[in-house]
Amino acid sequence: MIDPFNIIITGVGGQGNVLAARMLGNTLAKAGYYVTIGETFGASQRGGSVMSHLRISKESAWSPQIPKGKAHLIIALEPVESLRVLAAYGNRDVKIVSNTRPIYPVGVICGDLAYPSLPDLNSAVAQLCDDARFINATEEAVALGHPILSNVIMVGAAAGLGLLPIDDEAFKSVISENVPESKIEINMKAYRKGKEMVGDPVKF
Amino acid sequence: MQVKGSKEIRAGVLDSGLCTGCGACVSLCPYYATHKGKTVMHFSCTREEGRCHAHCPRAEVNLDRISSQFFGEEYSASPFGSYINIHSARAGDKAGVSGFQTAGTVSALIKFALEKGYIDSAVLTKNEEGFGVPFVIDNPGDVEKASGSRYSVSPTVKGVNDAINSGRRKIGAVGTPCQTLAVAQLRGNPLKQEGFTDPIALSIGLFCTWALTASDFTALMKSMGDISTIRKLDIPPPPASSMEIETGNKSYIIPLDDIRKLIPEACSYCHDMTAEFADISVGVYEGKTKQNIAIIRTERGRKIFEEAVNAGYLETEKIPEEAIAPLAAASMNKKKKGLGKLAGANLINSETGHTVIRMKKSTLESILKGGASCC
Amino acid sequence: MLLSKSEGKEFLLMGNQAIARGALEAGVSVAAGYPGTPSSEIIENLASVAPEADLYVEWSVNEKVSLEVAAAGSFAGLRSLCVMKQNGVNVASDFLLHLVLSGTRGGMVLIPCDDPGAISSVNEGESRYFARLMEIPLLEPGDFQEAKDMTKWAFSLSEELGNVVMLRSVTRLSHASGNVKLGALNRTKPAAKFNFSGNLLDAKTGPVITAPVPFRHTQQQGKLKKAAALFETSPFNRYEGPENPELLIITSSACYLYSREALRVLDTEKRAGILKLGTTWPLPPELLKKHLAAAEKVLIVEEVLPFLEENIKILAMENIDSIGKIKFFGKNDGTLPSVNEMNPDYVIKAISSILNIPYTGMPEEYEKSGQILSFTKSPNRELTFCPGCPHRASYWSINRALTLNGENGFVCGDIGCYTMAILPAGFGTIKTAHSMGSGTGVASGFGKLKSFGMNQPVVSVCGDSTFFHAGMPALVNAVHNNSDMLLVILDNSGTAMTGFQPHPGIPSGAAGNELPSVDIEGICRSIGAKTFTADPFNVAETEKKVLEIIENERGPRVLIMRQGCALSPEKKGKKKYNVSVDSNICKGSDCGCNRLCTRVFRCPGLVCDSATGKAMIDEIICAGCGVCADICPSGAIKRSEVAL
Ligand SMILES: Cc1cc2nc3c(=O)[nH]c(=O)nc-3n(C[C@H](O)[C@H](O)[C@H](O)COP(=O)(O)OP(=O)(O)OC[C@H]3O[C@@H](n4cnc5c(N)ncnc54)[C@H](O)[C@@H]3O)c2cc1C
Ligand code: SF4
Ligand code: SF4
Ligand code: SF4
Ligand code: SF4
Repeated sequence: MIDPFNIIITGVGGQGNVLAARMLGNTLAKAGYYVTIGETFGASQRGGSVMSHLRISKESAWSPQIPKGKAHLIIALEPVESLRVLAAYGNRDVKIVSNTRPIYPVGVICGDLAYPSLPDLNSAVAQLCDDARFINATEEAVALGHPILSNVIMVGAAAGLGLLPIDDEAFKSVISENVPESKIEINMKAYRKGKEMVGDPVKF
Repeated sequence: MQVKGSKEIRAGVLDSGLCTGCGACVSLCPYYATHKGKTVMHFSCTREEGRCHAHCPRAEVNLDRISSQFFGEEYSASPFGSYINIHSARAGDKAGVSGFQTAGTVSALIKFALEKGYIDSAVLTKNEEGFGVPFVIDNPGDVEKASGSRYSVSPTVKGVNDAINSGRRKIGAVGTPCQTLAVAQLRGNPLKQEGFTDPIALSIGLFCTWALTASDFTALMKSMGDISTIRKLDIPPPPASSMEIETGNKSYIIPLDDIRKLIPEACSYCHDMTAEFADISVGVYEGKTKQNIAIIRTERGRKIFEEAVNAGYLETEKIPEEAIAPLAAASMNKKKKGLGKLAGANLINSETGHTVIRMKKSTLESILKGGASCC
Repeated sequence: MLLSKSEGKEFLLMGNQAIARGALEAGVSVAAGYPGTPSSEIIENLASVAPEADLYVEWSVNEKVSLEVAAAGSFAGLRSLCVMKQNGVNVASDFLLHLVLSGTRGGMVLIPCDDPGAISSVNEGESRYFARLMEIPLLEPGDFQEAKDMTKWAFSLSEELGNVVMLRSVTRLSHASGNVKLGALNRTKPAAKFNFSGNLLDAKTGPVITAPVPFRHTQQQGKLKKAAALFETSPFNRYEGPENPELLIITSSACYLYSREALRVLDTEKRAGILKLGTTWPLPPELLKKHLAAAEKVLIVEEVLPFLEENIKILAMENIDSIGKIKFFGKNDGTLPSVNEMNPDYVIKAISSILNIPYTGMPEEYEKSGQILSFTKSPNRELTFCPGCPHRASYWSINRALTLNGENGFVCGDIGCYTMAILPAGFGTIKTAHSMGSGTGVASGFGKLKSFGMNQPVVSVCGDSTFFHAGMPALVNAVHNNSDMLLVILDNSGTAMTGFQPHPGIPSGAAGNELPSVDIEGICRSIGAKTFTADPFNVAETEKKVLEIIENERGPRVLIMRQGCALSPEKKGKKKYNVSVDSNICKGSDCGCNRLCTRVFRCPGLVCDSATGKAMIDEIICAGCGVCADICPSGAIKRSEVAL
């Protein structure tokens, strides 16, 4: 693993971004890593973008903000957010896993702004990074019973890339500390689903 | 004519002191509203083209086009515009109207037209807590509830829009010259809407030299006591130079000079004294308090007017040439002043920016060069 | 975790959790605060364990009162904590000025959480200057472990000095998480007693007062000297780097992490050293002298204003003989910006220019195409009120009433979700916005300008929590001075902006305990303002009411617009109406509507069909408030009440 390994989880208020960051962070902390998570969620409930920076290191704690252009992995819970993050923290080698389900900004809902088509967005992302994988996490989450599970699917997908020393058992123990007993299995299912899906991303 | 949108109305009319408060833009959509005689705009509309602009009497009014539409001839430099004939008139006994301003001609005509089915409804202007508000009626018995003049700016054409919105299609509209002009524009279907039919079956215009800013005038009246007790409010013709107000037990005489201070800037741009695009225009017969002057302009106006005379709703007299001379002079004077002010502000036939009036250049020049204006 | 007994075990903790844990390890008994991002989770975390841990925790009416409540705990011999966001210190500062003179008994810690960059504030105020102004010790944790450990230490330091200690956090610590090793919990429940019968001048047994001032002030300054001496050996002040660094970086707080990162990124740890200070006021002079003497170039890294920089420069000047000449880099020479939050890039840039080390974070080409693509393809996420939010409806009516009135009336805004009315979300209705309660104070002033010819109607808005916080005195002022203004209280039953903390108008406390509630309407009436109420969801009636109150009433008036927040636990997920749009009636972008609901009203529950311009309801997002049905000019939006 590159040390420190820099992850950005990006999305929109209400998508469970902060929770996803903590699940991932806790899993790695359990594995003995220093983890720093920086969160920007002041306006989360009011339609704004939400971003978490994760720094993973064997040596020491790193700062809660990733330097410009230095992300190694971007997990986008919402597709256009990946582009916004790339513009600030991207580089050709960064890996992206992105959900395909848009959450439209109010400007788009109102008909004032345009939201790009997925193929369009995909090609824009491809201009900035070589390995971006789009998976339909929300659809799978709905199939599993609740759209909010899409954040666990995305964490699973990130784990499935094999870039991080994520241990399934460690993840399970973090999940069990955070959700009621009855929900553990469905969360693990979502996690495994994500791991599977990332190997077979949506083709445009 | 170039139809634009509300952005132009806001900048060119509302914020430029040109708005007459006629109400023609109100009740078309959620953006315009009228309150205490003032037209305001809520939020902004982004349409490039809209009925507000098309109907507004202060935006892109093409006098030649409207004149051709109603009278088959271009707008001329004559004092009264196009007409068939002029009468002296007053309400006949058959009409059974009271509370009228001058001689009840307007009320009698509307009542007659309603009773005979020439119109199925009428848009009048009644008094509500000292403000003039549109009043849509279907019943001839309601005519009297709105007789008499409201000298303050009133959004009467909003009532026309309301009547149209509620499905009425044979409407009688009574209005001042600016209101009548707005009605004339909407009758021309400027946005070329499909299935449009002219909803106005009778347009009656009132002579007008000026109106008063509603809130100021109401405040003035309120300062004289309970406005619900006002029985009569009149401006006797010259040489008297005052407004007379009679309340329950008192009467007040206010010098016209004080009243004139309440005239909105918008009126100073007005060039039309006799409501030139009405079917019939009615006003005061100077020197004869118990008579109106009625200018009959269209065939359908003539038909209704004559039938009303025949049915005893109106009584008429021939009017001698010299009797209309003062009116003609006053009318020409208003044309000169109004058009002159518009021209001075580059608001006639302007190539760039806002234009209030479009008309043949030669007609404009002939009006502006016409006999010296008095007072 | 907060009450975990696993001493020595490591957890990933949010800075605010670490602080709460530190307070519990110190055996805190009383905690009070006023909600404000990024500080709120400290009190929330403590409240969540209050009964179990024998704590008294409260959300106070404002920061000044919260400091007073906490001080009472200290006077009675208990360890007490007071928490607020940066600008809260300004509110509390009057009491603070006197508290620092009288001194404290039980350990007392004041924790302001600053928000450099104003990530969730309308200012980037500095609380550090208060420590210097008030002459009290200032501690600044440099990471998450220190957030916990220094909080714990701050209590004993306070007891040792006999005065309140300020521990300052920032957004990037409070709202960030890192590894924290737990210490032992202190679960004793000390008895509270206020002793006052001792000698007037005895700090432990006499009355707690500020007089005689010269005596107390001398004592206070003595405490500060003692603090400086203690700080010389504090483990929270550390030096990392070569003995004689080419560049000495002096830093504190989250900037320590940025500085360390910058040195690593530039691979220059052998050339430059970091003096990380945990105690930034008073500065420990000997420690600083030693390090300053070993360097010729010094870069001071801190957020917003040059607080450390100024203090260090004074110290350096006073000791120029032993330290020698130094070239300082920091805010004053423009090496670092004195606005906005710090980040690793700023520090990298500063060091690379001082030491001449080339660095490119992002190739220019890449940056340019990234910006263009992001600008063109990722539509901006503008902030807006939630679906079903009562504020949207309230501003709709206020805005329309002011327009109808036509006299250029305006709204003085205040602090809360409803501040967003400076944006299209609230139709740009707010024209002034400053601090808590100041909308009404400003309006009270505007309402007295009639004699200078100002005839514009004056309206202020204020949330329910803000009303209690600082709106009430402003209303009293308006009433007493007979100011011609209307205060609209947007009562949504909770401190919604910061996450529904209770306030005095709510019948419950921080820990969910039952409490008496204070009636806003009753207060306004008894203050003597003409008071009206309205339901903002009844838009037509509310608009009429606002207009009538503006036009027909004079003097100080209050209109309470009451409707619960859409996110409130009582409302969330429950629709009152099923709402739909009849597309045959909808006029869409045609003349006659021009998308009033989707373009102007802009509730996120209303979606514009881009092909036809007509409106549709997004069933998932729509909260079912039914308001849009009332604003549609065509009657195209239908609503039917949901059977309960
Ligand atoms: C603002 C104003 C200024 C006028 N200035 C002059 C003038 O300078 N010289 C002149 O000769 N005549 C003027 N008149 C016309 C005059 O006052 C009489 O309305 C006219 O003589 C008709 O008299 P009547 O007895 O037939 O009217 P009535 O039978 O009393 O009927 C009057 C009709 O006018 C309508 N009305 C009242 N107020 C208004 C208003 N503000 N806007 C639109 N409709 C209204 C009423 O609904 C009613 O139907 C003015 C009228 C108005 C409203
Ligand atoms: S263009 Fe149409 S919708 Fe827009 S303001 Fe004018 S009348 Fe209203
Ligand atoms: S003149 Fe009439 S139509 Fe024009 S803006 Fe004023 S009220 Fe509206
Ligand atoms: S306000 Fe009514 S008519 Fe206008 S777009 Fe919305 S639903 Fe359609
Ligand atoms: S009913 Fe209308 S205004 Fe209310 S939440 Fe739904 S879409 Fe928004």
